[in-house]
Amino acid sequence: MNLATKKWIFLKISSIILLPLMVWFIFNFIAIYDQSYEEVLKFFSNSTTKFLFSLFIVFAYFFSSLSISEVFEDYIGNDKIKNVANRLLFLSAIIIPLLTIISLFNLN
Amino acid sequence: MENRNPLSPHIQIYRWHISSLVSISHRITGIINIVAITLICIWTASLILGDTNYDFINSFLTSIFGKFIVIGLAWSFSFQILSEVRHLLMDMGYGFELQTTRITGLGVIFGSILLTILIYLIGRNFI
Repeated sequence: MNLATKKWIFLKISSIILLPLMVWFIFNFIAIYDQSYEEVLKFFSNSTTKFLFSLFIVFAYFFSSLSISEVFEDYIGNDKIKNVANRLLFLSAIIIPLLTIISLFNLN
Repeated sequence: MENRNPLSPHIQIYRWHISSLVSISHRITGIINIVAITLICIWTASLILGDTNYDFINSFLTSIFGKFIVIGLAWSFSFQILSEVRHLLMDMGYGFELQTTRITGLGVIFGSILLTILIYLIGRNFI
């Protein structure tokens, strides 16, 4: 199996997992976005929210990094620029969710 | 080894039709969503700093502009959800006829507006 096929399969599996998580998140975000600090803290301190939100951001970044790397593949001709762009993309897809999850699990 | 894969042709050389509009909008909303999710991650992580920092973000989110951004995000999520379902159905081999692609494309565009209204009403009143 070549790399492009593997990427496509990972993209499809992550999109199937991401769809219900997107629905869950957007309904809850609309419900809480203008609430007080205490209400928002209560929402994110709930263990179910912590679990679902962590899954949501991990799959959102995984899916997005694969999708955006496809855009780079389509429109960037210079291999050096494309490699740097892909490395930065994959690095941010690891660091941002990781820092957010660490913060989330330190909320009381 | 030098990469000799062809690049995609520039989008302006094709005549616009529903499928190309949905396709390019899918990519644009995908980028908007990941930027928004990054800001939401910062918002979530900032909760650990206490309510002093939260007040600044809250005053933005409760402003008219903030509400406009939140509703825009609900539309962007709705568009991405419906367009992704359309992609998955096409991956399974359905909906390739020209007339069907037009109907499903229009379904994504108008359905995303309806879904945004539904998400907002349910989110504000029932959750």
